[in-house]
Amino acid sequence: MNANAHSGNSPIKVLVTKIGLDGHDRGSRIIAAYLRDAGMEVVYTAPWQEISTVVKLAMEEDVQVVGISSLATDHRLVPKLVEQLRAAGLEHIRVVVGGTIPPDEETLLLQAGVSRVFHPGSSRDEIVTDVQKLAKEALQAQSAT
Amino acid sequence: MNTTSQPSSLIERLLAGDSAALARAISLVENETPAAQDILKAVQSKLGRAMLVGFTGSPGVGKSSLVNAYVRELRARGKTVGVVVVDPSSPFTRGAILGDRIRITDCAADPDVFIRSLAARGNVGGLSPAAARVVDVMDAAGKDVVILETVGAGQSEVEVAEVAHVKIVVSAPGLGDGVQAIKAGILEIADILVVNKADLPDADRTQNQLRRMLKLRRSELAPVSVLPTCATTGEGISALADAVEASFKSGSGAGRTDPLLRARRVLANSAAAAAKRWVLESNDPRMTTLSEALQRGELGADEAARSLLEVIHD
Amino acid sequence: MSTHEKDVQFTLPGFEQAEALWKEGYSNQVSDQHVVKNRSGIEIKPLYTSADWTSDRYMEDLGFPGDSPMTRGIYPSMYRGRTWTQRQLIGLGTPEDYNARTREILSAGASALSLIPCNSVYRGYDADEVDPLLLGTCGTVINTIDDMDVCMDGIDIGNVSIGLNDPSPFTLLAFLLGVARRRGIPWEKISGTSNQSDYISHFVANHMFYRLALPGARRMLLDHIAFANQKLPRWNPVSVVGQHMQQGGATPAEAMGFTLSTAIQYANDCVERGLDPDSFLPRFTFFFDISVSFFEEVAKFRAGRRIWQRIVRERFGARDPRSWRFKFHGQTSGADLTRQQPLNNIARVTTQAIAGIFGGLQSLHTDAYDEVVSTPTDHAARIAIATQNIVRDEAHLTDVIDPLGGSFYVESLTNDMEEEIEAIIARIDAAGGMYNAVEAGLVQGMIGDSALAFQEKVDSGDQKIIGVNAFKTEKEDFKIEPHAYPPLERMEAQVARLKTFKAERSQAEAQRALDAMARAANSKDENVFEKLVEAAYAGATHGEICAGLRRELGFGEPLVLA
Repeated sequence: MNANAHSGNSPIKVLVTKIGLDGHDRGSRIIAAYLRDAGMEVVYTAPWQEISTVVKLAMEEDVQVVGISSLATDHRLVPKLVEQLRAAGLEHIRVVVGGTIPPDEETLLLQAGVSRVFHPGSSRDEIVTDVQKLAKEALQAQSAT
Repeated sequence: MNTTSQPSSLIERLLAGDSAALARAISLVENETPAAQDILKAVQSKLGRAMLVGFTGSPGVGKSSLVNAYVRELRARGKTVGVVVVDPSSPFTRGAILGDRIRITDCAADPDVFIRSLAARGNVGGLSPAAARVVDVMDAAGKDVVILETVGAGQSEVEVAEVAHVKIVVSAPGLGDGVQAIKAGILEIADILVVNKADLPDADRTQNQLRRMLKLRRSELAPVSVLPTCATTGEGISALADAVEASFKSGSGAGRTDPLLRARRVLANSAAAAAKRWVLESNDPRMTTLSEALQRGELGADEAARSLLEVIHD
Repeated sequence: MSTHEKDVQFTLPGFEQAEALWKEGYSNQVSDQHVVKNRSGIEIKPLYTSADWTSDRYMEDLGFPGDSPMTRGIYPSMYRGRTWTQRQLIGLGTPEDYNARTREILSAGASALSLIPCNSVYRGYDADEVDPLLLGTCGTVINTIDDMDVCMDGIDIGNVSIGLNDPSPFTLLAFLLGVARRRGIPWEKISGTSNQSDYISHFVANHMFYRLALPGARRMLLDHIAFANQKLPRWNPVSVVGQHMQQGGATPAEAMGFTLSTAIQYANDCVERGLDPDSFLPRFTFFFDISVSFFEEVAKFRAGRRIWQRIVRERFGARDPRSWRFKFHGQTSGADLTRQQPLNNIARVTTQAIAGIFGGLQSLHTDAYDEVVSTPTDHAARIAIATQNIVRDEAHLTDVIDPLGGSFYVESLTNDMEEEIEAIIARIDAAGGMYNAVEAGLVQGMIGDSALAFQEKVDSGDQKIIGVNAFKTEKEDFKIEPHAYPPLERMEAQVARLKTFKAERSQAEAQRALDAMARAANSKDENVFEKLVEAAYAGATHGEICAGLRRELGFGEPLVLA
């Protein structure tokens, strides 16, 4: 018997947070609930986090995905977050953004290294499936380093 | 396997105090990967430096705010700190919202404070089975103080007691039967009782109730202090830190004077966890036979367990 | 000769007989008997008749407009006497940008102003404390009395009503009063509303407006009310806000129940301060979200009016009829708007606006269809105003006061909503009042549950959202051109201007005034707001004032319920 074998079905870990100035968290709370119900472990924070704090959180909690909720114009700061994650040696972490993002800015975010932008009306299944996929990518990328 | 996260160099960086290595090591240990065993072995000989402090108590007493204030005080005293925050998992989906660590806000950006959330992962009412191991990894990484924070739900207080040197049970006035919720058994385990939110009107009464309940303890146990705190203003925190220090030095805590006893406990818990997993998940026909015999009343539970151990041995 | 006999004697069937016949006919046509409920959880039947409500109850349930029980409206003439105030929100970029847009609106016939400051201002920071990428994108950057002077350049502030979307500690009002002083305009002429004075709603909704800790915010509001009572006869210092909670997921009944509970809390706090109810109640105003659930919103507002006049008389002994009036501003709900097929939002906003009008609001803001994506563009903002004008002037929806009054459905639903709202108020009472209830997170939990429940309905398709989970299109046939962000150089120039201001003011005077404000915050009897107004005049900046008060009165930490 091999009682110590673990099949690699450890739960996915996701950080759900908000940076910038806006505080509305109705959406991010619902997303956190979706992910939990899909078996993921969600580190959920208050809004108004500094980017440097988010990087430290992501590192300490060893998350695979960082989800930023942005309902005002705070998404404009996300490229800086992506940059700081890379600088901290955390380039394997996938960053996703959910909220009110104008279409041409979505392109800019993706170019800056954001993996996925979710708009209002995205379905629960879509969000869960994509986050799971991105988490697997992150784990593979982490093992390869 | 791979190079930089290969256990040996990871272990070197872990023992040197590198935060990224600590985070990675915790994940490997928590997820019980093959690499975990190497890490735990390497860590064993480095244990015993850190003071391990457990905080437990019902939801709503302000545990996280209290931990927050205590961490701030420790930093002011020049200590490096590791914090493990255990949150419950859904028994159905095994997912979890880990929302407590964020309340430890004051030192959120401090590189000498390392905070990690653990989901209970199906261990309903208890700690994550990995909690003790994660605490050890933080100890080996060189933290002066490692704090374990968990919701008091009966089982977890006992498990905290096996891990922590100093056990703090937190309550607060005005929670209805808040004091009753501190079951008599917990009082046997606690080293310090804290009444948080001491600015509330009932605080004095709560403290007195606790002192009366303490008189029911066995007299040979070390005395327990009852301390009022107000986590949001910082009142009583310095006194708490002093009391924790004093309790630690007087050495009544878990396995402090006997690392071997601690190791035996770790062995017992690991064995129990492993056996439990195997019994519940295995498809081995001998399992079925034993279970059926137990169900029919042909074997008693103890007998069945002994037979099981023989089966596992093969 | 016709073979049909003419039915010479037609006898009316009896009620029960006719009802039974109808029920049978209905069941034959409707196979799916599932229960329909509105957002507040009230069951909605397919038909309402005189069995549900009759005009025997006219005086008890309705009465006449302007009189108890106020159901039909707070004034005898309602919109025939005076149409609702068309107060569209304006806020963007620099003070010059604001001034330009406002002057346009005024010359286009608007009679009332509003001002939305930048998110950085909301968070309590000056322009030099935040990332420039975030400046001026959602509101106007105003940090000093000079900035306010520029905003109001060429505007007769003694003769136009201003809605200052300015949360505690109300620095924008302080700057406005400073400008009035500079221009020799007596404060008695300054009219408007502090329409984000409701700190409880900010705390509940985790709003960026929440700056000071709960006890500190409580003190600030009371000082603000006392100051306005004494020195600003035409200023409404209190606007109790249901919008944040409904946008956060509260059902319409919950939003009304929580808002009324908050108003009760503030009124109690004022009474404890020693203020006479009739001195402050006439200046309590309310601010609500209007969702697309049409009849529910109409009933919500009618019920709210009825409940409030009872509350002020029974709980507070208000005798002045002006205290009994439930004055409210309604804003069409952005939470109902979609990014997909955005022009549909015009239909949504129209529906919401009509609900608000039939609900008897005093002032209305209609959202622009592109608000889902950014600050509204000019042309979308124009459509939003035209919407109001069309329903009033073309559809003549305002020719009759409370036109839905007497409808079996609407009266029945108003009574049901009243019951539901009263139950919520009772729950809050049992928790020790709204302040205690939100401190403990009780309200936040209820709102979170409602938000999740609604989301589940949307996820399951039970609640259709056109263009999102129903009647979707493969390709988007309309592209929103989002409002451009202010150029970075422009905002950086604003930051430079702040620097110059600070260099050129009397540092000593500003500091002295800030110290006096801090001392007042630590005293029991001094009015902190009064000292704040002095500090603003002496050149203290918005960020300095907020930082100072956060130090003395506590930083507003959010309550996070995971």
